[in-house]
Amino acid sequence: MILRTAVLALSFLQLNVMTAPPKPKSYIVLATDQQTVPANKKSVVELRFQVVDGFHVNSHTPKSELLIPTNLKLNPAEGIKPGTPEYPKGNDYTFSFEPGEKLDVYTGAFTVKLPVEVTLGEHTLEGTLRYQACDHAACYPPKTLPVKVVVVGK
Amino acid sequence: MKRNAAVLAVMVLGVSLLLWAGWHNIRERRKAVQEANANRITLTRDVPSQTAASGAMGTPGDATAMLKGHPAPAFTLINSEGKKVSLADYKGRPVLVNFWATWCAPCKLEMPWFEEFRAKYKNDNFEILGIAEDDAAKDEIIKTAKKAGVSYPILLTDNKVANLYGGVDSLPTSFYVDKTGTIVEETVGLAPKDEVEANIRKIIGTEKAAAPEKPTGAGQ
Repeated sequence: MILRTAVLALSFLQLNVMTAPPKPKSYIVLATDQQTVPANKKSVVELRFQVVDGFHVNSHTPKSELLIPTNLKLNPAEGIKPGTPEYPKGNDYTFSFEPGEKLDVYTGAFTVKLPVEVTLGEHTLEGTLRYQACDHAACYPPKTLPVKVVVVGK
Repeated sequence: MKRNAAVLAVMVLGVSLLLWAGWHNIRERRKAVQEANANRITLTRDVPSQTAASGAMGTPGDATAMLKGHPAPAFTLINSEGKKVSLADYKGRPVLVNFWATWCAPCKLEMPWFEEFRAKYKNDNFEILGIAEDDAAKDEIIKTAKKAGVSYPILLTDNKVANLYGGVDSLPTSFYVDKTGTIVEETVGLAPKDEVEANIRKIIGTEKAAAPEKPTGAGQ
């Protein structure tokens, strides 16, 4: 009885704390934390990102050289050989005030595919994603998102 | 007897925990709602009064909105030709202080509009100061301004001027300063062209200003 009451109380406590909405920290969040790939074989790690609702970021190949592209930079790591990242195509975006000017952007979810070759075991892939976000009328200074993904070679 | 006391104690503890959890949850939700409201961008095309964002992401409140009706902060910057330019140099003239950057697409959309209105209100002594809030190379800034057809003064940031104007967390951000040096209107984000013109008309005095009468600005 005592134990049941205590468990029930703790469950309510945990539930209440967990339902509190998360605080926004960035215009993009990393939606991948771990991936398992065959060891010692060429494979692909999919890095999934999510652009916060209401915002867009320039794609990896924006239509102007002055726009800051979304770019992934990885640190060297033992046991993991990353190749050149493959970025998804962007979507056309037009500001309502200037329909003639088309931008190439990512909105919502997008995935960067990273060719890798990993040794047996667990490896941590670390790096940064540089991007520059805008909403429908304003732009925000370039930001750098830390990227950290555990890649397991099996 | 002892068992009953223990059960009672545990029940009291349980109820206390539930009450605390409920209170904590309400507090967190209120906090989250306040933050969500602070982060909401309220720019719309059809409602001129909403062109100033209610606050940029990660910056609760609206620091720039506090400048409306106040003297425009003084600054001295280097222009694209390497010469010193102060806001005080334009004392007695209506001035649009526009923060922009080479990477800001909406900024480049409104720059030709500014140029057009500069020519249109030339006889009213209207001037525009475009502050490049950008770490791009000077040549790139000049090239971008030229491509947008800009002939008004382009000033290079000293990385301090934006703080004087409330931080300028998003671009474009514009401050409409009247002849007395008072910030009459400010917009965050791309405003519709007709609203830009209406704001210019406010500072040159052809339209009734929304801001109350204020003392002479420190910057001009």
